[in-house]
Amino acid sequence: MNLALIVLLPFIGALFPAFLIRSGRNACAYGTGVFTLVAFILLLVQAPAVFSGQVIQARFEWLPQLGLNVNFFLDGLGFLFALLILGIGLLIILYARFYLSHNDPMGRFYVYLMLFQGAMVGIVLSDNILLLLIFWELTSLSSFLLIGYWRHLPEARQGARMALAVTGGGGLALIGGMILLGQIAGSYDLSEILQAGDQIRSSSLYIPALLLILTGAFAKSAQFPLHFWLPHAMAAPTPVSAYLHSATMVKAGVFLLARVWPALSGTPEWFYIVTSFGLVTMIISAWIAIFKDDLKGLLAFSTVSHLGLITMLFGFGTPLAAMAGVFHILNHATFKAALFMSAGIVDHEAHTRDIRRLGGLLFLMPITATLALVAAASMAGIPLLNGFISKEMMLEEAVHTTYLGQDWILPVFATLGALFSVAYAARFAFHTFLGPVRDDYPHKPHDPPFGMWLPVFILVSLVVLIGLLPGLIAEPLVKITTDAVTGGNTPDYHLSIWHGFTPALFMSMIALAGGLTLMALYLPAKSFRERFPRPEAKVIFEAIIEAIAKVSGQITALAHNGSLQRYLAVMVSAIIAVGFAGYLGSTPLGAGERAMVPVNWPGLVAWVLLVAALGATLMYHHHRLFSLILIGVVGMVVSLTFFYFSAPDLALTQISVEVVTVVLMLLALNFLPKETPRESSSLRKLRDLVLSGLAGLGVAGLVYAVTTRGFESISDYHLAESKPGGGGTNVVNVILVDFRGFDTFGEIIVLGIAALAIYALLDSALHGAAQRRLSKWVPEGVRAMDPHPFILVIATRVLLPLALMVGVYIFLRGHNQPGGGFIAGLVVSIALLMQYMASGFSWAQHRLKLDYHGLIGAGVLAAGLTGVGAWFAGRPFLTSDYTYVHLPVIGEFELATALGFDVGVFLTVVGAVMVALANLSRVGRRADAAYEAQEQATDGKEA
Amino acid sequence: MEFLIELLISAMIVVGGVFALVGSFGLSKLPDLMARLHAPTKATTLGIGGMLIASILYFAFIERTLSVHELLITIFLFLVAPVTAYLVAKTHLHKNRDRQDTAQFQLPPPAGTHKAGWATFNKSEKQSRTEIR
Repeated sequence: MNLALIVLLPFIGALFPAFLIRSGRNACAYGTGVFTLVAFILLLVQAPAVFSGQVIQARFEWLPQLGLNVNFFLDGLGFLFALLILGIGLLIILYARFYLSHNDPMGRFYVYLMLFQGAMVGIVLSDNILLLLIFWELTSLSSFLLIGYWRHLPEARQGARMALAVTGGGGLALIGGMILLGQIAGSYDLSEILQAGDQIRSSSLYIPALLLILTGAFAKSAQFPLHFWLPHAMAAPTPVSAYLHSATMVKAGVFLLARVWPALSGTPEWFYIVTSFGLVTMIISAWIAIFKDDLKGLLAFSTVSHLGLITMLFGFGTPLAAMAGVFHILNHATFKAALFMSAGIVDHEAHTRDIRRLGGLLFLMPITATLALVAAASMAGIPLLNGFISKEMMLEEAVHTTYLGQDWILPVFATLGALFSVAYAARFAFHTFLGPVRDDYPHKPHDPPFGMWLPVFILVSLVVLIGLLPGLIAEPLVKITTDAVTGGNTPDYHLSIWHGFTPALFMSMIALAGGLTLMALYLPAKSFRERFPRPEAKVIFEAIIEAIAKVSGQITALAHNGSLQRYLAVMVSAIIAVGFAGYLGSTPLGAGERAMVPVNWPGLVAWVLLVAALGATLMYHHHRLFSLILIGVVGMVVSLTFFYFSAPDLALTQISVEVVTVVLMLLALNFLPKETPRESSSLRKLRDLVLSGLAGLGVAGLVYAVTTRGFESISDYHLAESKPGGGGTNVVNVILVDFRGFDTFGEIIVLGIAALAIYALLDSALHGAAQRRLSKWVPEGVRAMDPHPFILVIATRVLLPLALMVGVYIFLRGHNQPGGGFIAGLVVSIALLMQYMASGFSWAQHRLKLDYHGLIGAGVLAAGLTGVGAWFAGRPFLTSDYTYVHLPVIGEFELATALGFDVGVFLTVVGAVMVALANLSRVGRRADAAYEAQEQATDGKEA
Repeated sequence: MEFLIELLISAMIVVGGVFALVGSFGLSKLPDLMARLHAPTKATTLGIGGMLIASILYFAFIERTLSVHELLITIFLFLVAPVTAYLVAKTHLHKNRDRQDTAQFQLPPPAGTHKAGWATFNKSEKQSRTEIR
């Protein structure tokens, strides 16, 4: 349980910063930090058990049918990473409090940060690989938000997009790989997969699974050639870079390598792929890092290089190399986070992070400079610091590893990588902090407030302590982690500063001397490098994205040419094809055995009316107003048909829907030409005729076939259960609010969304090009000078209370007799619509101050809360209950929870209709105002 | 007594029927829209009113129950008929506004002392005043 809580706490913490920021920046930072702190403490509570070798588990079922369960486990590896994520996270929260300026929305920053933190902890504690994938994608998304935090900067937006494309794409590959892995092992639980190593390595699917998983891990950990997103992600605020791009997120890929190490490593494929990519990444990016002028850019490439180093170590496949990798993860997280934070301090104080404009900061900001110099020394691998020890181990392992049958390749290149890392560390340290004090800084730098350098100080103390006493401080943690990575094959190796005169020591010395020499020859080296053309990753990336977008655009344009006729033609043809295929495929559905009902007069008249109205619509559809009236006639005939077949509920609904639709359509038609232009060629008309004729005949045949035979339907059940089950005698209403309440709930949500879509679409008419067109709009024909005729105004005002009463009446009786929330909502909407039509929008709006958007929300909420209420009675969502209450005077009546649900339906319907009306009116008023301004302008000219 | 009531009811039905017939006849026979509008709004409304009275009497004295439906129908009818007629007339005026020169569509000058013209064509004095301000 505690494990799940550790993962959950950051997510819970993500809910608060946005509110806490109103109480000030300190409250926001502390309020956020508390959640991380509690999670951190909960983690430390587990430490004794983890150190004694136990694996702590927490399991909850989520979707067991898919193999997706919320299973967490905590072993050494998870512990180390969770410790880093939460511990450094805490420092970052403190640091960010001072780093962010007053103009930056701090609440939003902490929300994103906590989301990321939760996702990251989720990755390292997941026992289920599908769950791990979910958290993996969450880190990609939340890091996208964090990188793009300064959304006003184009580099931030581009960097965020690039990071999302690369890591998200890697995530896709990882999904494939993980599913293959699960298929091979027969389980999606990591603890079982790790036991099935032999089975996995001998499987024929091993290679594809390996390649896909490695793609995902390499994309996340910025391995060459997918490394380019990381330097561009430096557009993020520095706390983000320190947290995501040095200590945690980029380590997720390395974490994954470590996690699947027992299952996948030990094969030549693993060795050559992982080692080679790691080695190439380490050397190339270290070389690039030397020449970066941007402090954070230098650190970014150095991070890529160190990730390459760790990847290479895991690629070696020996337990000792894995131990070195684990140790270096810990060390790198400490010194690199400290370096990023120092770079951030420099940027914050000197207002630049361009190395060429810095130098001599040691004397201006001594505390920061000292801390940064120590961390940089550790990065370079200077003895007595932690970076030295793990680098020694790496070199030692390189010496003992044979690559392509050659003993010398790895040691030489490893030394070269170490040499470059000395060089860039020296450049970072010397060119920024040493040298003469300058007087042309953009801003005079000095040491930052205590809270800002405290996190750096804590990290640097760790760097020194681990460097001095590795056996005491780091060894237990590294050992249990290695235990977890290697599956209990931890080598008997002790972390210490001095191992005697080993080859590694000499290689270190070469690297140190070579690196310093290279730094001394910085300018010649730079001109040497600039002689060669270098590919610019961003340009290539943008070109690829643009090409993809272009092809997608072409495909879309091909399928979606904007012609509604074409879409309809395609859809109707598809339906006809499917219908005929179904008809021809199975036993043909002919006439049934049920006798036909004789035709009677009312039916015949209604039918003739219907056909006549439809035919007239076909003939006169160019006259839009006339065809709207004809459509109204069709609606009325349909309502009468419902009434005739004893469906008063449907008839009532249909009539009210017709009225609302026709009125709203009239308002919309106001802005459209009164006549549709004649555009269709006769060939197209023929096509449409054939299509619609076929579709109509098909439907008619189907209806004939179905209605001439008896069939069992669910109606009998509903009729029988309506009263005992739902407590109402109006079966239609009971079905709506009870039996299929969930459907209705979904439908009112859709209705609300549709209303909001009307708002969004019409709102665009008030801006930009559409607005300019609207302002030139001239109504067709002469307008009446009395827009609100007296007789209409009075009549509608007299009718209002009457109509409202009818609405309430229909609502209240709905459960037992024809009516209900939907119809009542429409009736009340019509009553209000009449007021708006007759007396004008502003008049009505002035007297009825209601937030219609809020009405929709309140409706959905009321329905949802009624449904949730069932939980308190221990029943499933939306189970209804009813009772009979006796009140004096009124008598006995029924109280059903369905009434609350119906209130929700009612409110949503009223809100949706009113939103549509209000927005049409808004456009109308704007157009009228523009038109009147035009009129007055011309009047003025004439005068 | 009952015979008298029945006689009265029958009379009301017949009167109602006659007026409805006259209304429908007028609708088809009268020369132009403005004249035709009188038939359904006046005669037919009266005809339906007669039938409603017959219905009220029937339920009150023969069935011995109180029926309010007829009253509601009356209210709605009296509200809807004039409004509809008014709007139809207004639409008609606007549709034929350009044909003022032919005798058929010639509009008589509006009654009243002020010379504001037809409300739907000309701005009222009040509107003009507010605009000047």
